[in-house]
Amino acid sequence: MKRLVALLMSLLLIFSLGVSIQPAHAQDTAPLKLTTTYPGVVVGLNEGVSFDLKVSVSDAPRIVKLEVTQLPEGWTATLRGGGKTIQSVYVEPGKEVSVDLRLDQPKEVQSGTFNVLVTASADGLKAQLPLQVTVKEKQPARLTLSTDLPTIKGGPTSTFSYDVTLKNEGDEDMIVSLSASAPAGFQVTFRLGAQDVTSFPNNARETKRLTVRAEPYVQLEAGTYPLKVTVQSGEVQASLDLNAEVTGQPTLSLTAPDGRLSAQVRSGRETPLKLVVRNTGTAPARGIKLSSSEPNGWKVAFEPESIEELAAGEEVTVTVKVKPADNALAGDYMLTLRAAPTGSSTKSADFRITVLTSTLWGLVGIVLIAVAVGVVLLAVMRFGRR
Amino acid sequence: MALAERVQSRREGSPWTGLWAVVAKEMADHLTSARMRILEFLILLTAGGTVYVAMQQIRSAGISEQFVYLRLFTLAQDPLPALVGFLVFLVPLIAIALGFDAVNGEFNRKTLSRILSQPIYRDALLMGKFLAGLFTLALVFTAIWLLIFGMGMIGLGVAPGSEDVGRLLWFLLATVFYGGIWLALAQMFSVVFRQPATAALASIAVWLFFTVFWEILAGLLAQALHPIQFGLAQEILGQAQLQMTLERFSPNTLYAESMVALLNPTVRSLGLVLPSQLQGAILGTPLPLSQSLLLIWPHLTGLIAVTILIFALSYVLFQRQEIRA
Repeated sequence: MKRLVALLMSLLLIFSLGVSIQPAHAQDTAPLKLTTTYPGVVVGLNEGVSFDLKVSVSDAPRIVKLEVTQLPEGWTATLRGGGKTIQSVYVEPGKEVSVDLRLDQPKEVQSGTFNVLVTASADGLKAQLPLQVTVKEKQPARLTLSTDLPTIKGGPTSTFSYDVTLKNEGDEDMIVSLSASAPAGFQVTFRLGAQDVTSFPNNARETKRLTVRAEPYVQLEAGTYPLKVTVQSGEVQASLDLNAEVTGQPTLSLTAPDGRLSAQVRSGRETPLKLVVRNTGTAPARGIKLSSSEPNGWKVAFEPESIEELAAGEEVTVTVKVKPADNALAGDYMLTLRAAPTGSSTKSADFRITVLTSTLWGLVGIVLIAVAVGVVLLAVMRFGRR
Repeated sequence: MALAERVQSRREGSPWTGLWAVVAKEMADHLTSARMRILEFLILLTAGGTVYVAMQQIRSAGISEQFVYLRLFTLAQDPLPALVGFLVFLVPLIAIALGFDAVNGEFNRKTLSRILSQPIYRDALLMGKFLAGLFTLALVFTAIWLLIFGMGMIGLGVAPGSEDVGRLLWFLLATVFYGGIWLALAQMFSVVFRQPATAALASIAVWLFFTVFWEILAGLLAQALHPIQFGLAQEILGQAQLQMTLERFSPNTLYAESMVALLNPTVRSLGLVLPSQLQGAILGTPLPLSQSLLLIWPHLTGLIAVTILIFALSYVLFQRQEIRA
């Protein structure tokens, strides 16, 4: 027992010594060395793989012969260096020479682990490098489109903008193209970063954030509009349903019945003007208040003063009674009329009012001349014919 | 009484018989006289010079506006004032020159009795002389007016608009009656004074008074009648108003203001304008001709009425005058 223990101890000692000395010794003193940084790799089906082999010698320059001594059936191995297919390398001590080993799979390969052995030999020296290639079946190509907010609400002219995430779930890089089907009246654009795109590369396992913008180019009726966004690459495609919910909005317009926003008004006299309030929007306008900003001293009255409700597409004619100030000068003035519905924007129209002054004083002037002529006639009657 | 009745009975028929014969004769005299030639030359020179300068300016500045023909009359370039500036004092001179020896000239040449021995009443003689003067003025101004239009058409290559023509026709009318006042005045002095030189001097004195002194006097009078005691806006306004009213007694002011309103369509008022009256106004827009006319209607009718009244006065003076000498 004691002997056994002593033997074991001595063995352990030798072993540990050997371990502690061996690596340094082997590294420094092995006359021929064949290494690679990554001796085991994983590749996909039908994918080539290449190893970067390094050959070095320690004592004297040698010509090293390289050979792939073990290769799975059907596989082909090629050793390349300096752009040529090679069989041997010339190595000087202290210098490492790189050789590229390329392995190609046969067509009908199964997934599994394959062993390859590369042997380097020179002048009786020999070095071996076992390599391991694991062939793995790849993820099938797949694209997914998703969004957090598939339904967006907006006005009849607002732009609907959706944040969409596109993910390439497969292991293959692909170039995807985008398309959309939208109801009439929408123009759909895709934005990646700050640029409009319709097609872009999406690498394997990559996620891209897209902005889908649906811009209406006509005024839309209230309602829900479905949009379908499709992304396609070869046979792979994914689609996403989005909704644009358009809420109606009243839009007022102010015009005159004949479209002419000008009028002639006598100073100090009330003149009725016609004003047409039209709802060109998509929802009824309620509680329209009519107001005006007029020059100082003018009187502007509306009849009616407010409109309870104006359905979309309807119009109402309002009589505006304009009375310029008594001392208003002749000429053109700006009269701004406004219609303010509750809960929507105010619309205004500028009327150009030409003020005409009274012709009463013109008559006075004529009378003045008549009086002067009368004076002459009187003088003729009294003193005439001499 | 019996004599008066007899005299009254002799006064029958139209007082204006022979009026047109007098007018024709007088116009012929006016148009051939050396005096008229000098005046015509003077006014032609001014019109030609000022309009040429105005045209150069319009062309070089590339002024393309609605009323380019009006600018021909109103554009000035230092040292030459605009044509209208000249007209304010040239028109009275011409009118005075035409009228200052109308009656006393005949009297001094002893031709008055000879004319009145014809079947022509004094009425027709005085009226004929006045109308002949007025027609001569109208003829001269119309000729110049047409000349300027012709120059404008050649120089600018644009046809005048109807608004241009309308405004300038009214301007012509105002000019003729502005001359009419001074003509009637000169004729009145020719009735009053036996010496033509005295009559001419008196007319020139009145002209000088209104051209130079009346404006100063109006300012002084306004200050005296409407003194500013507390510096209130109302007081200042009242004084300015009074001064303006006083100045308008001068035919020069009336004529100048009507020219401004007629030839500058953007003028909206000739009086004082409060800022509140201009609120909301679109400035720089032209008034229609009818509104500009309304603006100067008092001026225009004033000029015409005063012309007629001065004529009436000289008529009364002439009729009451002893002419057998």
